Formats: sequence, C-alpha cells, structure tokens
Amino acid sequence: MTVAIGEPVRRVEARDKVTGGARYTEDVRAADTAYAALVGSAISAGRVRSIDARQAERAPGVLTVITHTNRPDFAAQPPTPYTAEGRMPLADDRIHYAGQYIAVVVAETQEQADHAATLVQADYQRTSPVPTLDAALPAAYIPRQNGLVRFPSEYRRGHAETALAASPVRLEQEYRTATLSHAPMEPSSTLAYWEGDRLTIYDSSQAVHTHRALVATAFGLPEDRVRMISSFVGGGFGNKSFAWPHVFIAPMAARVVRRPVRVTISRKQVFTGTGHMAATVQAVRLGADREGRLRALIHDSTNQTSFIDDRQEGAAGTTPYMYAIPDVYARMRVAKVSTGTGGAMRTPGDSAGAFALESALDELAYKIGMDPVELRRRNHADTDPVSGRPWSGKRLLACYEQAAERFGWDRRKAEPGSMRDGDDLVGYGMAGGQRMEHQSRARATVHLSDEGTAVIRSSTVEIGGGGLTTLSQVAAEGLGLPVGAVTFEHGDTDLPASSPTFGSLTSGSAGSAVRLAAQDALRAAIELAVGDRRSPLHGADPDDVVAHESGLRLRDRPDRAESYRELLRRNRVNSLRGDGDFQPAGETAGYAMATFGAHFTEVRINRHLPRVRVVRHVAAFSIGRVLNARTARNQAQGGIIMRLGAALMESQRPDPVSGRFISPALTDYHVPVNADIGEVDVLFVGEPDTNANPLGARGLGEISAVGICASVANAVYHATGRRVRSLPITPDKLL
Amino acid sequence: MRPFVYERAEEARSAVAAVADRPDAMYLGGGTNLVDLMRLGVAEPARLVDVSRLPYDTVGVRPDGALRIGAAVRNSDLAAHPAVRRAHPLLAQALLAGASGQVRNMATVGGNLLQRTRCAYFQDITKPCNKRNPGSGCPAREGDHRNLAIIGHSEACVATHPSDMAVALAALDAVVHLEGRDGPRTLPLTELYRLPGDDPRRDTVLDPADLITEVTVPALSFGGRSHYRKVRDRASFAFAVVSVAAALDVAGGVVRDCRIAFGAIAPVPWRARRAEEALRGAPATEDAFAAAARAELGQARPLRDNAFKVPLARNLLVRTLTELVVA
Repeated sequence: MTVAIGEPVRRVEARDKVTGGARYTEDVRAADTAYAALVGSAISAGRVRSIDARQAERAPGVLTVITHTNRPDFAAQPPTPYTAEGRMPLADDRIHYAGQYIAVVVAETQEQADHAATLVQADYQRTSPVPTLDAALPAAYIPRQNGLVRFPSEYRRGHAETALAASPVRLEQEYRTATLSHAPMEPSSTLAYWEGDRLTIYDSSQAVHTHRALVATAFGLPEDRVRMISSFVGGGFGNKSFAWPHVFIAPMAARVVRRPVRVTISRKQVFTGTGHMAATVQAVRLGADREGRLRALIHDSTNQTSFIDDRQEGAAGTTPYMYAIPDVYARMRVAKVSTGTGGAMRTPGDSAGAFALESALDELAYKIGMDPVELRRRNHADTDPVSGRPWSGKRLLACYEQAAERFGWDRRKAEPGSMRDGDDLVGYGMAGGQRMEHQSRARATVHLSDEGTAVIRSSTVEIGGGGLTTLSQVAAEGLGLPVGAVTFEHGDTDLPASSPTFGSLTSGSAGSAVRLAAQDALRAAIELAVGDRRSPLHGADPDDVVAHESGLRLRDRPDRAESYRELLRRNRVNSLRGDGDFQPAGETAGYAMATFGAHFTEVRINRHLPRVRVVRHVAAFSIGRVLNARTARNQAQGGIIMRLGAALMESQRPDPVSGRFISPALTDYHVPVNADIGEVDVLFVGEPDTNANPLGARGLGEISAVGICASVANAVYHATGRRVRSLPITPDKLL
Repeated sequence: MRPFVYERAEEARSAVAAVADRPDAMYLGGGTNLVDLMRLGVAEPARLVDVSRLPYDTVGVRPDGALRIGAAVRNSDLAAHPAVRRAHPLLAQALLAGASGQVRNMATVGGNLLQRTRCAYFQDITKPCNKRNPGSGCPAREGDHRNLAIIGHSEACVATHPSDMAVALAALDAVVHLEGRDGPRTLPLTELYRLPGDDPRRDTVLDPADLITEVTVPALSFGGRSHYRKVRDRASFAFAVVSVAAALDVAGGVVRDCRIAFGAIAPVPWRARRAEEALRGAPATEDAFAAAARAELGQARPLRDNAFKVPLARNLLVRTLTELVVA
C-alpha cells in the first residue's frame, strides 16, 4: 500500500510558481482585448448629480465610458452574500461608500483606460455620511437581510441574566476589533468575452461554480452558457470568495464594446472594492463560581455594515458551542456605516469573537487567581452544548496539554509584570479557539490511464493552501500510485463541481469527493481484472484485491499482482473513470463537528519603547487527519501570522469625518513583514476522524486563525499588567 | 496618471535650464516617491527631467574629513559606504531604517531629501489639503492624525516630513549644494526646510529649478559615537512614528557636546537645539537626558490623538543617549 496521505509532499505546482510558469488570471491573454478602469466615488454618501465623460471619451484609445445613465440592464440581482453586494454595479445615482464604482472606462490599453479614468468629472450631491462604527452604534439592530449566515443572530439557552446576577464572580467588559483588509498579493482580475450568447470568464475566483451561477443570473443565461475559469489565485483569505462588482462589470463592458474586456482592479481598489473584515464592538459578561466553573455568559456583538447590505460578522456565532455553560445568551447586531459591505475574511466571525471571549476568560482567570489553562479545562464541553450531540473527534484537551508542554507554560510566573529580561517585559499568554465545521457537496472524477497515471478532474481552485497537492495525495493513496503519477485539472466550470475553496471546505469536502472517485476508479479496475481470464487476479473476490504499487494485487498473495498498465493495455482500455460525489450528512450525522486549537504566545516589550514583539508562538490543532504535514504546517503558520498582524498592527482606519479608509495602500496598511515574525511552532494532535467524512479530515485554513489575538493580548497583560481590549495593540496603547 | 514627457539630463546646467523654463517640469531621481504621487494624481508634471544619471553618484572624503555625497548616490550605496559606517554610524543606520532593500536600491540622496509627507489627506486627491490645494482646509486636524506632527506645525498643516536620512543629516550639520537659475550655491540642510505657517505648499525654500547636486557632512570628532533609533508600528518597512538621531561626546561623566534631531514629530527634520543646549556641560545621566528631552518637547502641541508621541519621543531620546554613554 502506498502511503501518500499525511506525507510532507512538496507542492505539486511549486516549480511552476517559482519559475513563473504558473498562469494566474492576469496572465491569460485573449486576442483583441480591451481594458477597463473603474472610477471610484470621491464622496462616501450622497448622489451623483451628473457625470461629464466627454473629456475621457476624447482621450486616446478610449472606446466607451459606461455610467449609471448609459449602462445596459442586468437581467436580475443574483443572491447575496456570494454576490458580495446587494446592489448591481452602476445601478443608480446613489453613493453608499467612498470608492464605489461610478463609471467604467474601456480603452485599447490599460494605461489609456487609467488615464482617461482620471478625466471623468463627477458632480456630487453630498449627504452627511456615518463615518464610523461608534457613530452608528446607537442605531444598531438585528440584521434583517441575513443572507447565508451560518448562525442565527440571537441564541439563548437558560436565563443568562438571572444566572449572571446569581454568580459569585462577575466580569463585564467591552472589546473592539478593527476593520481589516485581506491585502492579498494578487489584485482581483477578470477577463470576459462573449461568443454569441456564450460567455467565458476568467476570474480570480475562489469558487468558480458558485460564481458562475451568479453571473448567469445577472445576465439572464442558463448556467451552461457560462464558463468560468480560475487557474491559480494569488492570495484569497476570503477576498475572492464573493463575486464583487468588477466580476459583473467585465462581461457587461465586453458586451458593450463587443470585444474581450479585462478588468484588473487597482491596488487601492483591493481595499475598497473587494471587502474587508468589519470592525466589531463586543460586550462580554461572564458569571462564574470561585472554583472557575462558568455559570453564565452573555456575548453581544455589533459589527459595522454598509448601507447596501446587512452583513453579519458572526463574532458571537460559535460562542454557545464553546464551553459547558448552562446559561448563555449571544446576540449579533449590525450598524450601518458609510463604508463598503464587509466580506468573508479568515476567519469570519470567529477571529473577532475569540478575541473578546478568550480575553474575557483570561481576565476571569486572573480575577479568581487560576491558571488560564485550568480555567478552560474546567469548563470543557465534553459534548456539544447546543445540540447535546457527541463531538466528532474533539481533542481540545490534548491541544492544551501538548502546546503547553512544547511552549514551557510551567515556567510562567503568574503575577503580571513579574517576568523580565533586562529592559524587556516578558509575557506568556494563551487562548483557545474553535470553529464549527461545515461541509459542502463536492464532485470529482479520477481517470486511471493505461500509462499507470491518473488525472483528477474537479473545479476546486488552488488559492495557495496546497489543495492540489493534498488532493493528489488522496488520489495517489486510493489507487496505489506515486503522487508524481497524478495530475490535476482544476478551477474550471467545465469540470465536475467541487466545493468552493473557502470556509475550510477543501480537505473535508473536496477531499472526500476525490477519495470516492479514486475508490470508484479502483473498483472499476478490480472488476476488469477479476473478470479477465488473462489476469493473475482472474476469479478473485473483488474484496480481496487491493491497490499496490501502480497496480493491483491480492491482499494476502503478493505474487498474484499486475500493473494497471498491463491490465488496461491488454484489455484495450485507454482509461477507467471513477466518479466521486460527496454529499454531507449534515444534521443526520449524529455528531457535532468543529475544529479546535490552543495557542500559547510569548511577547517581549521594551518598557520604554513598548512595541510588542511576539518572539514565540506555539499552537496545537485538532483537525482530524492531516493530509500533508508540510502544507498543513505552512497553512497554519500563515493563519497565525495573519492574525498576529491583526493583533499588533493591522487596522483599516476610517476617516472620522467621511468614513473613507485612511490607508488603502500596502505602505500604510501594515501587515507583518518577516522581521516581525518570531518562532511559530505548530502541532497537530488529531487522528483520522471518520465520523466527519470518508477521508477523516476536517478543515485547517480557518481554525488556524482563531484565538491568536487573545493569546497575544493575554501575554501583553501578563507582561505589563495592562489589559488592551481594543485591537491592534500598537505602542501608543502601552505608554 | 497624466501623460508626460520624459527626458534624461546630460549635465546639471542643461537640467536646470530644462526645468527653469517650464513651470510644470520636475526633476526625477529614483522615482520612489514622485512616481507614486503621479499615480495618485497628487503630482502632475508635464515633463520629467531625469537627473539620476548625472555624475553625482560618488561618495568621497575631503582632506578636512568632510563627507561629500553626490545627490544621485543610491541610499543603499551610501549606507554601505565604509567612511559613512565608520565616521557617521547614525547616518548609515538612518538609511537602513528607511523603506526596504528594493526601495533603497532605487532611491537617491537628493530625492530622499525632497520626498513629500505621508499624510493620508495629502495623498488623497478627493480630500481638501492646504499643502496640495492652498486654502482648501486641513481635514487631518479633525480627522486621522495619529502619526502627524506634535511640534512645528500650524493651523494650516500638521504634516510630518517622512525621511529618516534627513534626520541624521540634520543632526550632522549637513550642507546642501545646489545648482540653480543663478548658478551654484549652498545651504545648511536645516535651512533647506521650512515650517508650514500659513503657507504649507512648499516644504523647502528651493526654487523649482534648484537642483541638489551634493550634500556635504562636516567631520565630527565624536561622530563615531552616534545612533539613529526609530519607533514604528512594525519591525521593518514602515515610516517612523518617532525617530531620533543623536551623537554624544562624554568625558568624565559630563556631556561635552552633542547633536540631536528628531524625526516624524514635525513638518521638518527637527534639530533639537534646546535639548542640545540643555545637555552641554550637564552630567551624562538619565535625569539630565530626561531634562533635555523636556526642554525640547516642552514646545510640543500634540493633536487630539497623537499626544503619545511626546512620552515616546522622550523615552526614545533618553534610551538612545543612555546607550551611547554605555557604548
């Protein structure tokens, strides 16, 4: 049996990526392409009184300028949230946020389009904007238009207020998280062209089948008239999970100029035109007894949303599932701000929510003089507190234990400010993390060829997480092939529909589809062999035949074996096809499913110049089976580093007067650079979790980014005695 | 970006002539700031005169020990120059604290001195800005100004100067050599920059046709005992929140002489003459350093959200001087 799953196989596309061979959406060329530039609104609230495009239309190379006054109609508004905004681009004269597209300039070259875009003159009628979440808070409300949110906006068990009032120890605090930008390296790009009423659209999309359906609806086409292709994505993080306005603008413009049209948004438009993680204000109230047993929890979160949509950042969504607390109330509200609609950003809801809840638990631990790990152990939810069902493969206690040991948590002196090294204050902090696992239907085929190779065909998109590699390993192991014998056709709606590449769906859902397809192909090969008189396996019980070294053999008789190549060639079969169609068991599974993590952080802070440095971070995750030790470690480190940025430096601050983002540029929106990153150590405690799905794997991408901010803030408190409840923890907050 | 004519100057006089006749012409050095501003629509020159290939690309030491730095020398090359590292470590450190390796490989000394403020409102042409559009107002006062000035600013403008290198050069009494309409002249670097007052349009006293050709740095006997320290929101590739350049001459526990300049707290590289005055002859102690910081920062008038820069600048100066005593 070839053991491929779990091996630290190098990324199958690594060579192409480092040699420039990998073709991203921006690299795709089509003959006679015209280029579009998108003109953004200069104001953040009001109306466009008029647009004077005459100068732009006369500029060299300009083909057309499209505005709300001359645009073609869309057939329909496709549903949110996968259509990111509940308003089609250029719909009318209303302005909801700064940077909202008000005109599209199409020209022969990108440079000509960009230049002409600066010549478009808009006359605005300004109204007064709601610039910040603080300004909007008094009008917060339970979202009316909820979309596809995974959690209800209100959850209640028991009587939290009463239980809180009766608790001997009480804690009430408010926590704030900043607006964050995904800031991927690759700005979103779309290339669209029409052939009659057939539309081909190359798009830097994390979910081609999901987005194709939206585009088809918008243009009134049957889905099979639209083909969407997303080869590689240069950084997603949820930035490309939803179809943002430019995705609809490219086909619209292509129809107007009757040529292929390319839209690549500018670096600044990455920040305003493809979403963000919305800022939150979260009140947490905890009641406990003096032994640290939690009796009541109220988690009340409000996030900013746009005037277009009620987009809930589900910060209190996972809260009811996390600890064994009898009385819990969770609520999530939204408040309208003159800003764009928030997107899904790693990790939606949970990253922000865990900062509040896991900070509050730390505060409680200090209040009652208990080790923060012990406090969490005492409140461990052995079964899902919401459904009462057993967990599928929860090993959170092992996460605490193994990460604490690796970190050296026993060296921690409990007293804040008690650990020093010269002028450095040293702090140890920890936090837990949890994310409810969900699954999606996913399909794949595996073709086993008479060369002894296999091709996976599935529309999953490689967004950098390593999915092509891990899924290749799954197929290789299923068929007894070396990973190098497996190739992958991916990211195209002409292929079987995989799960979207977001929401940590790839390992569990896309992976299960590939596993089922590989099993199906294997079954076909076995059938062929046992029915073939010339095969050494002729007449064998199919259940006794296994895949082995690029062929088949009897489980107990290594000498009765033959290669796929011999078998298929002798039978003049070019290839055998296996189909995989994974359908999540959902509510009938009998198990509650989630992924879990534990984080331990060491910070050092110069007491005179208090910039927080994370010198060491140790995390342990319970995610079931790890498909590839190398890509998993890499992905988890990436998730951790992303959230270290949120903890220490990232903030897309709104102008307090207009609401316009202050720093829509990588020079000013700081993400961590290499010099910021200390040692990041990652452990996986899990074993295959076959209750979850046939593959035994759960998602890693999202859980890797939950709990880090609290772990850092808790370490900062331990180092300094200062509790920072508002992210990011910049030097000014510690002076 | 507005279309423009690009030309490469062959020598200084013709470069000056090319710009002097045309009010919408600008010099181009490494382009690491000007090209960004053109992309943003903040700068809209109709003609760029590239002076980066003029023969001002060497660093030398004069017989009197002064450094001669050509205006076209790349930041990376200057930072790596043995004479700079030996005699003026604070200058090398300031250069290396700026930007990234890639940017430093492009950026020139002359261009670095003339880079514009990073104030978000200056860079956003949808916003009013007295520096960009005189009389339109300063939204930063009411807006986001966490990283703007605490000293030397005015009602009209609260921007800061972003350069690290210029802070070190301000401390070192550098002299700027110019080629202008009326021929060559020199100017102390601290007099190159002007405070905004009620006319923040111009950052410097230069005429648009003035071309920086060279910067000289006089020998400083205690230049070897110097340091540039920068506090920023991340470990690298970020503009300063506060920075300090300091050189210290201590004998017998007493400060004989010193040079101090702050960065990122003022519209100009801020030479801290009051602090220097307070320190000369004072004991080289933390208390004296703190008193010197107070002497300088007592003039600070922080805005609503940047008062933290005052204690941060104080602590930074005290730590830097303390380390120089120990060193």
